[in-house]
Amino acid sequence: MRTPPFNLHLPTTVSEAVQISAELRAEGRETDWIAGGTDLLPNYKWHLNTKSDVISLARIEGITSVSMTEIGAMARLSEIADGGEAHPLIAAAARKVASSLIRNSATLGGNICLDTRCFWFNQGEDWRSSIDWCLKCDCGTGADCRVIVNQNELCVATYQADLAPNLMVLGAAIHLAGPEGERSLPICEFFKLDGMTRNVLREGEMVVKVTLPDEVGQWQGEYQKLRLRESWDFPEAGVAAAWRLGGDGTLAELKVATTALESIPRLHDQEVAPIIAAGWSGEESITALAKAIQQTVKPVNNTAFPPNYRKKMTRVMCERALAQLSIN
Amino acid sequence: MGDEQMKGYRQQPGKLPFKKPGSGGGKPFSELRDLDFIPESLDGRLAQPHGENRHDYLLTGSSIGRRTPMIDDRWKVTGQAKYGDDIRLSGELIGRILRSPHHYAKIRAIDTSVAEALPGVEYVLCGQGHKTLFGVLPVTKDEHALAVEKVRHVGDLVAAVAAVDEATALEALRLIKVDYEVLEPVHDMRKAIDDSEHPIHDRGKYHIGESNVQKRVFQEFGNISAMKDSLATSAAKWKFAGVNHGFTEPHAVVAHWDPSGRLTLYTPQQVPHYLHRALADVLDVPMHQINVYRTFVGGGFGGKSDPFPHEMCAAIMARETGKPVRITFDREEVFWTNRGRHPSLLEMVLHADQQGRISGIETDALIDGGAFASFGHVTTYYNGVLHTAPYEIGAFHYTGARVWTNKPASGAMRGHGAVNSRCAVESGIDDLCDRLQVDPITFRLANLLPPHSTTITGFRVTSIGMRECLERVRDASGWVEKFRKMPLGRGIGIGCGFFISGSGLPIHWDPNKFPHATVHLKVDMDGGVVVHTGAAEIGQGSDTVVAQSVAEVLGLPIEMIRIKSRETDTSPVDLGSYSSRVTFMNANAAISAAMVIRADLLAAAAEITAADEKMLVIGDRRIYVKRDPAVGVSYLEALHKALEDRGALVSSGSYRTPPMGKSHKGAAAGLAPAYSFSAYVAEVEVDMETGQSKVIEVWAAHDCGRALNPLAVEGQIIGSCHMGLGQVLSEEMVYGRTGHLRNANLLEYKIPTVHEMPKVTPIIVESNDPEGPFGAKEAGEGPLLPILPAVVNAIYDASGIRVNELPVTPDRLFRSIEKKIKAEEVDNALQLPNPNLQYSDLQNVVEARALDHGKRDDERQLDVEREPYHNGALFGLDPAIAPEEQTTDWVISLTPDEDYLADPRLAGSAWKHTERRHMGGEN
Ligand SMILES: Cc1cc2nc3c(=O)[nH]c(=O)nc-3n(C[C@H](O)[C@H](O)[C@H](O)COP(=O)(O)OP(=O)(O)OC[C@H]3O[C@@H](n4cnc5c(N)ncnc54)[C@H](O)[C@@H]3O)c2cc1C
Ligand code: SF4
Repeated sequence: MRTPPFNLHLPTTVSEAVQISAELRAEGRETDWIAGGTDLLPNYKWHLNTKSDVISLARIEGITSVSMTEIGAMARLSEIADGGEAHPLIAAAARKVASSLIRNSATLGGNICLDTRCFWFNQGEDWRSSIDWCLKCDCGTGADCRVIVNQNELCVATYQADLAPNLMVLGAAIHLAGPEGERSLPICEFFKLDGMTRNVLREGEMVVKVTLPDEVGQWQGEYQKLRLRESWDFPEAGVAAAWRLGGDGTLAELKVATTALESIPRLHDQEVAPIIAAGWSGEESITALAKAIQQTVKPVNNTAFPPNYRKKMTRVMCERALAQLSIN
Repeated sequence: MGDEQMKGYRQQPGKLPFKKPGSGGGKPFSELRDLDFIPESLDGRLAQPHGENRHDYLLTGSSIGRRTPMIDDRWKVTGQAKYGDDIRLSGELIGRILRSPHHYAKIRAIDTSVAEALPGVEYVLCGQGHKTLFGVLPVTKDEHALAVEKVRHVGDLVAAVAAVDEATALEALRLIKVDYEVLEPVHDMRKAIDDSEHPIHDRGKYHIGESNVQKRVFQEFGNISAMKDSLATSAAKWKFAGVNHGFTEPHAVVAHWDPSGRLTLYTPQQVPHYLHRALADVLDVPMHQINVYRTFVGGGFGGKSDPFPHEMCAAIMARETGKPVRITFDREEVFWTNRGRHPSLLEMVLHADQQGRISGIETDALIDGGAFASFGHVTTYYNGVLHTAPYEIGAFHYTGARVWTNKPASGAMRGHGAVNSRCAVESGIDDLCDRLQVDPITFRLANLLPPHSTTITGFRVTSIGMRECLERVRDASGWVEKFRKMPLGRGIGIGCGFFISGSGLPIHWDPNKFPHATVHLKVDMDGGVVVHTGAAEIGQGSDTVVAQSVAEVLGLPIEMIRIKSRETDTSPVDLGSYSSRVTFMNANAAISAAMVIRADLLAAAAEITAADEKMLVIGDRRIYVKRDPAVGVSYLEALHKALEDRGALVSSGSYRTPPMGKSHKGAAAGLAPAYSFSAYVAEVEVDMETGQSKVIEVWAAHDCGRALNPLAVEGQIIGSCHMGLGQVLSEEMVYGRTGHLRNANLLEYKIPTVHEMPKVTPIIVESNDPEGPFGAKEAGEGPLLPILPAVVNAIYDASGIRVNELPVTPDRLFRSIEKKIKAEEVDNALQLPNPNLQYSDLQNVVEARALDHGKRDDERQLDVEREPYHNGALFGLDPAIAPEEQTTDWVISLTPDEDYLADPRLAGSAWKHTERRHMGGEN
């Protein structure tokens, strides 16, 4: 297995990075950002949508900070997990990503922008040639999706990163920089429903940091991750919940988000709202909410566990994420 | 000094101050010999609860029984060990292999012209010119260097390229055009029993109908008619996924033809000798023109014990180009090469009678061999015969079939052929006990074969430490307080194992003519001992155990023993590292060789000291009179005396198995000079809401005869637990709906990580085998067997779910929990009933018998004049006579009758076909 050759660029500032990208594109070359490389390089080794030019963000200064309200795109997951600065929910979620070795390289930006996964796709070239490729990396063959066949336009590869739902429930904003300047948006608007496009990043645009609301310290939360092994394994279902208690100790606000069930992570305000509106009753509300969320998620068969199991487990994960609110 | 001056010159004795050779140690005299390591039987104090061993008098106390780190460990931990891919020869070419994208297809044509024209490509190889078949078993050779007429699975080898570098080789592969005619593949092993338009292989007149059945076995032993008259029956249909060895080092090979026209093939191999033979066949050169060089092996577990096509490709391309060729696999290729455990469909029926005896075992095993035969012929037998002990049984009915399918080939994997059916038997016994409401450990203790007995299939069993294993794990685990007494979601379970310690018959030749293992020794002036052995060190410690054995006999520190085991050029023939044969056979051979040197040394010492040779013993680098250590000489003094007029001392020792077993067809499968036994208790936690199981703790008792190196035995036990845990909980070669191996990588092929690994308490049981080297048996494979059923039974204790599909992934267990919720009509998993145990009257019966048999076994162990004991005595027959000679109720039958064929079980239905040669006509 060989990583195909590529040109590596090593900018030292965000603007330089954006500029290099723009210049290369102007020449008609294609680029990828590389942060920790723990996702990109395995994919390159498998010759999955490789590009001629790779721009590393590793030497860019000033985008590695970790605090309660701001995390730089190049902050390492090990730092987020164990540095003691990040919000406890984010730290706990980071601790569940991959393995300690991988977390030393892995970054926040890479985690958020993680490529979607599918067992028809995350395979070597010989393997993919044996199934005649698939839509997401069709090698010019116009191949169909192998999961949902006979449609030829949508890729339903699964988004299997852990941090996004946790950032969503804490109300994070994501800050981007690109050839057209900088922009910010709520992180729940960052993802775009398609396993190939994945998110709203424009050509040559990169993630610089995420910020969390000033009062995020008042929020507590819990992240539940379904996986076969306690290390290495990507989430097969993930449920993040965060809440703020009022002065009287009752539930004031609640957010729930899921990951690893569809092509994007999803915030479940729609399911939460009616239940909060009906008045929080602890155990019963949890059961109802968990059921509602289970019903909305639509996992497909492209990860290790069968989709119906992942769907059913969403309810259990949800109940466990909310267990602390059962006696409210 | 000129030549003339040298002529006729002799050193006059005493003219030069030759120093007396040192004692080797700092002390001029040894301590009085430590009588603790002299066994009771030889006038010492070392208790021998299990009787004598033929090597007792050779003990010197230097090495055996000591916790000894592997002698090659520093090479590994400092990164200096050279594995397959570390061999770099100058001017090497890189070889890569073009693999089939189809499950099953005819190759119409291959066009290599464009690839050949690519600059940097030195050779493109196709299968047509190399049609010689090979395979590890001479009876089932069905592999080629490269596909000749058909490809048989995705990943099958089609063509190979040797080029100046890997990028060029890969590019060249893309340029090879293959014209395939796609054939209808067979993925489902059940369908492979049927006749097929294009059977995957053609075995000529031995082909079984037009089917894909490669091997079928029918066996009935014992009182078949009485078996069904039972008090309780447990029946289960099992499904076992295929698993891969998951060794760290991918296959890699370097081939080099030297200027003298000889081939050296560097490869991490478990069976260099079989490869040596296959190479000679395929390359059409005599064996003496080939040197198989075994590199360090980064894990084998049975996965590197076939001669492989890529090894042939490297050798052929190196010959054609005149340059060394190196091929290293990607992980995907490792999975496509496979030879892992067979996916299996198993039916297991157990019967128990009024007295709590196992009156019958009925097993039907359909095993999926994938595209090639590999070891499968043997595996088919092993799935049956290896569960006819440690229990005394009234009847045994086995039907087995191995089929070809369009998957990567299954083969031998640690616990070869025994693991799946053992899991089913032990789980079945747990179920029987549940039905009978007796304690499963007591039940087992009441049904064990005694030491020195014969099994129902005629295996001669010598030492048995099974009883002690069971008792010790029961006590260590707190079984009595825990079993069926823990809350829902927590459980404890027991499982046992029985495994061969070496296979009785060598694969390739008449055992009466050649020994199984041979070891050569050479001792020269410096006193160091060079050991030449062909045993393949694959990380299991075979070099260390040979060094220990020689060190022990000669009373030397292990540092003075140097092992040369790498090259077939210098090592005597050894059959390889499989069947857990190495310690038993090779150490026995080493002891024999060392005994020759020992005799030389003792004779020399006797000559110097004028002491009676019979009174001399060997201690730490000294030979002296047993009860007066002052009278003696240093090892070097004795050695130099022995070297006078001879030069280096050399010796050769060998081992062959004694004649054993019955004479029916297939009687040899499963025969071994000794057997290992084990019992594990596992404690698990089951998350009833998610179906996730976690093993908390394992108590693992293994009878290895004698722990020559307890450190290594414990390592094997713990490692086996880890490996078995993978198979029972998470590892699985997943073939999706299209038949493609979905998880040919180590992220999706789920080997347990350190987090999944429970605390394991290894318990070494030493039954002291009379024929094993210093009493030793095997510890490499047997320890894997019990972990699967122990976990499966613990899951039942925790959740009330009888698992019958492995691995027990959370989704599978959850599905069963859901079904049970429905069946029990409860709201959720947490309300499910917990299995319980109310002793029935039978408990007293089995308890009494267990006690009784304990005494019987102790006596047999020590009694040298013991009578024979045949399986069947428990059912009232005369133990001294083979049962089939006593009564016509007791049968041995090897072909199914019409009654059976009217309604065969799954694998049994393979017998509906007639072999072509019996179909009439010319053939
Ligand atoms: C064995 C293994 C197990 C894993 N397990 C998990 C797991 O359990 N949970 C999990 O979430 N992940 C897991 N991962 C995936 C990965 O390691 C992590 O998600 C990691 O955080 C990715 O970060 P990175 O910096 O290495 O990303 P990279 O590989 O550098 O990049 C990943 C993607 O993001 C893009 N990207 C990176 N930074 C930016 C940026 N600033 N702006 C725009 N795009 C950017 C890259 O172009 C690339 O497409 C696993 C990976 C491996 C190899
Ligand atoms: S979801 Fe479909 S298109 Fe996307 S990677 Fe999987 S098979 Fe390919």
